[in-house]
Amino acid sequence: MAATTPKLVVERASRAFDDAPALAPTSLAVAAGEFVSLVGPSGCGKSTLFNVVSGLLAPDAGRVLIDGADATGRPGSVGYMLQKDLLAPWRTVLGNIVLGAALTRGVTAADRAEAAALAVRHGLGGYLDHYPHALSGGMRQRVALLRTLATGRDLLLLDEPFGALDAQTRLGMQRWLLEVRAQTGSTVLFITHDVDEAIFLSDRILVMGPRPGAIVDELAVDLPRPRTLAMATAPAAVEAKRRILATLHGEAAT
Amino acid sequence: MSRSTSRAILIPLASVALVFLAWALIIRLFAVDSFVAPSPLEALGAVREDWGVLWPLALRTLEETVYGFAAGAALGFVLAVLMSQARLVRDLVYPVLVGSQAVPIIAIAAPLVILLGFGILPKIVIVAWIVFFPVAVSVLDGLARVDGDLLALARAMGGSRWRVFRVIRLPATVGPLFSGLKIGATYAVTGAVIGELVASTGGSLAGYQRQANSSLDTAAVWGSTLLMTAIGIGWFLLVVGAERLATPWRTRSTRRRLGFGASRRTTTDPGDAP
Repeated sequence: MAATTPKLVVERASRAFDDAPALAPTSLAVAAGEFVSLVGPSGCGKSTLFNVVSGLLAPDAGRVLIDGADATGRPGSVGYMLQKDLLAPWRTVLGNIVLGAALTRGVTAADRAEAAALAVRHGLGGYLDHYPHALSGGMRQRVALLRTLATGRDLLLLDEPFGALDAQTRLGMQRWLLEVRAQTGSTVLFITHDVDEAIFLSDRILVMGPRPGAIVDELAVDLPRPRTLAMATAPAAVEAKRRILATLHGEAAT
Repeated sequence: MSRSTSRAILIPLASVALVFLAWALIIRLFAVDSFVAPSPLEALGAVREDWGVLWPLALRTLEETVYGFAAGAALGFVLAVLMSQARLVRDLVYPVLVGSQAVPIIAIAAPLVILLGFGILPKIVIVAWIVFFPVAVSVLDGLARVDGDLLALARAMGGSRWRVFRVIRLPATVGPLFSGLKIGATYAVTGAVIGELVASTGGSLAGYQRQANSSLDTAAVWGSTLLMTAIGIGWFLLVVGAERLATPWRTRSTRRRLGFGASRRTTTDPGDAP
């Protein structure tokens, strides 16, 4: 594995809806195992970029490469999770975790065993037979993430996955996500408009400007892992926050 | 099987009792002659007296109801699924659906009997005619209401059109299907009785009632009406019971464990990749 291929490359992808540009030509690369966040004002094209990367939306121009192979407009090669948990209410926790297998080839006993093991490992072992309506919002998002992991895709697209949770639950979920990722080594592209969340989670942050979206700044988060809450006030975090806010709001946030 | 269960049984029973009580009071208060309208006790007494005759007739009406209901439900479901697959099919079929319900059912009954004879077939067709519509509309609605983001997620997970349909869209119709079935269940007996009325050969509940009517036996007229109503209520309750079994996620917080499922829990340790 000399000169490692990036996990994900987006090459000058752009997209317009009804002649209104939503995404200006955008390029980015994410290395294998990297955690990259995309921060920007609402309506800046983050979700358009996400749909392009997931293959659900074909860009007007440009390419998406996953592991060096062209995946433009071709869904099925990334794990995908939204703010809404989108759990199937008629499926149990276990049934939801194996949804990917059900959708692609049929669920086997091995899939179930693996899904159960995954749930046990990440603290959901006691809920395998629960229906989603019996779980709290945070628990449902955990199930949604495990469902994404169980597809075996090692590139995860997370679109504001904790956006609908209260601050306390959200913090717990962020730490849980980091624990999960430390074990799986997944590559993550994470959308948020919460700057603190981006700093706490990411190796690198891409800042998008207003519509039509384009990446206007990029910075590495110079904090060691595992991350702790105390790091939120470390000089590197404070400096990163200052710089992102200044970029987002076009003024020096002193 | 606690307070909530007994409440779920006792309160509806109480409401039935109240209806009968009001009926009895009206008869008593206005001193209605029993040739004009019987008291509830007289009506029930007429049923009991003639039970030997009524019971087989009730079974026949139930049979017509069940077959017609099953045929109508199947037709409605298949139509809804076909309509959901192609806009052209939907736009072609929808006016026919609405038109079929605009036809007064009592008016179509006579031509159907001429066409299909005096047997059970015209009754089944009439019941199906009534039942398929709410089922088709509910299921079509349910299919259209599946969360677009969930469908996008399913595609992003690599689901083919057929798999997405089977794993996401189809299970999502179970709830709406039962909404349609419950509406159909209450009307189904009406359809069977209309069929019996038009094709009356005597051997039916409707025929019995007509005969009682012409001999001014009002207690038997009301009694047989009560029996028809009871069949409708019974069928409705069966559908509700089936709904509870088919949609456990609506009433339970965990899946009921069947015997063979227990082995699943023990398979949590080995076999996962590091």
